Parts: sequence; structure tokens; C-alpha cells
Amino acid sequence: MRELRFPKEVYPGAHVDAAMKVYARFGEFEREESETHWVVRITSGSRAKERRLAGELGNYALGLTIQGRDPLDGSPEDRATPGGAS
Amino acid sequence: MPNPLVGVPEALAEAELGESAAHLMVDDSIYPLEAVYGASFTFLDRCFVLIDRPEPGRFRVTLSTKKPGADEATLRALVGEFANELLAQAWRRKIVEENRATLEAVTMQAIGGAMGPPTLDELEDFDFSEEPFEDPLGIAMSWEEKYGKKTPPKGDADASAASADAAAEDAAEDATADQDSDAKGGAE
Repeated sequence: MRELRFPKEVYPGAHVDAAMKVYARFGEFEREESETHWVVRITSGSRAKERRLAGELGNYALGLTIQGRDPLDGSPEDRATPGGAS
Repeated sequence: MPNPLVGVPEALAEAELGESAAHLMVDDSIYPLEAVYGASFTFLDRCFVLIDRPEPGRFRVTLSTKKPGADEATLRALVGEFANELLAQAWRRKIVEENRATLEAVTMQAIGGAMGPPTLDELEDFDFSEEPFEDPLGIAMSWEEKYGKKTPPKGDADASAASADAAAEDAAEDATADQDSDAKGGAE
């Protein structure tokens, strides 16, 4: 099992959710929420698979976040939405 | 177990060789989140990038190679390239902020020009009653206004008209005298 922690200040919850949906068929995800982070626990067939799955999930969520922001404003859309990870 | 990277300050970066990952601490007063986003985006094709916020005022960027088994030199090169890209992104953002007004003005002019000439209705509604703009250097004057033949002032015009009248009277007197002398000669 591998744990990824996405700070809410950096990653909108909706983008973390979208990334989890895209990679759902490659492993099992458990999602939790702390005061400051979205926490995703990943379980897959092997340690190497978990490493790769965690990396791809993080890259996908980061890519969505960067594409969804206003380049002159700097605020990703719905960054602070606590219900974003639904 | 994280290890310091040779040539990089220990407080700024460390390597985790077992995970083929390097961690870089970023001060957000120097490098804003937008710069971290920009630099991270350029590394998405080479690495797995994760941005964390361990404490206020700092970001922790984790760069993991896509293929496991990276050595320290590879991780050090990644950290160095990321730091350079971070600086470039921060500088680019500063330039954009400074030139934002100019960019907006040029864009608005381009959009305004693309809208085409005004319609007759728009011209009818246009307010032409505004005062003309100031032109102290005479740039807006026509060539004739600026360099053409000057009309004399009013006082000079009166004087020249009087002299013209006097000249006409003299010419008429001369003509009368000539006619008289011719008539006398003819009678003789």
C-alpha cells in the first residue's frame, strides 16, 4: 500500500478525483481528507506497480490543475472546495 | 532514507536513492506557486512530480524518475535543471505582471481593429462636439496653413488698398492729359 498526500492549497479536490477515476482500473484507491490534504491510498499488484500508479496519478492531477488555472490570476478553479473530492 | 546531494545545500535538496527520488525545498516568497506549477509542467514527461506543502511559506517538490534505479548524479542533474526552470518561470511571471497593461492595451486595439469600420448608425451616434486636441507643435496643420502665402494683417491691407486707389487715379489723369494733347495736335 502506498499513500499520496495532495495539499489542498495546490491541488483542487475535483482534479484529484478525476485522476483517480482515470486510473481506477489499474488499482484500488482509498480517499481520505485531512484539514490540509487530500490523502489517497493506493493498492496494486506489486510495489513497482504501486510506485508507477502513484506517479502517474500525481502527474495527471497536477496536469489538470495547471491546465485549469488562469495564467494571470494564479488560482486554480475550486481549489478550496472541500467537497471537491466526492 | 534521504541523503544529501553533493553540490547542493543540504537544507534545499536531498535524494532518496531507494525510491529514485529527489526532494527540493522551495521558498514561496521567492518562487510563487505559479512558478512551481510552470516548472513542474515541463518535467511531467520525464519525471513523476508531486508538490507538497509541509509548512507555510515552503513547497516540497518531489521528482521521481519514471524508471527506477536512478543514481545520485541523475537525481542531482534533475534537481539542478528543475531549479533553473523554476528561476526562469519566476522571472517570466514577473515580466508578464509588469507588462500586463501593455499586453491588454495591444490586445484591445487588435480586437477593436478586427471589428471593422463603424456603421452609419454608430457614426450618427458619435459625439463630434469634443474640443480638438492641443497641437502646440503644429503637427496637425496642413502644409498650406503652415507654409502657404500669408495674408497681410488688417492695417496693412487698408494701406495697400489706399495706395492702389491713388495709383489708379494717377493713371486716369495721365490718360486724360494724353487725350487732350492728341486732340490739340489734330486741330492744328
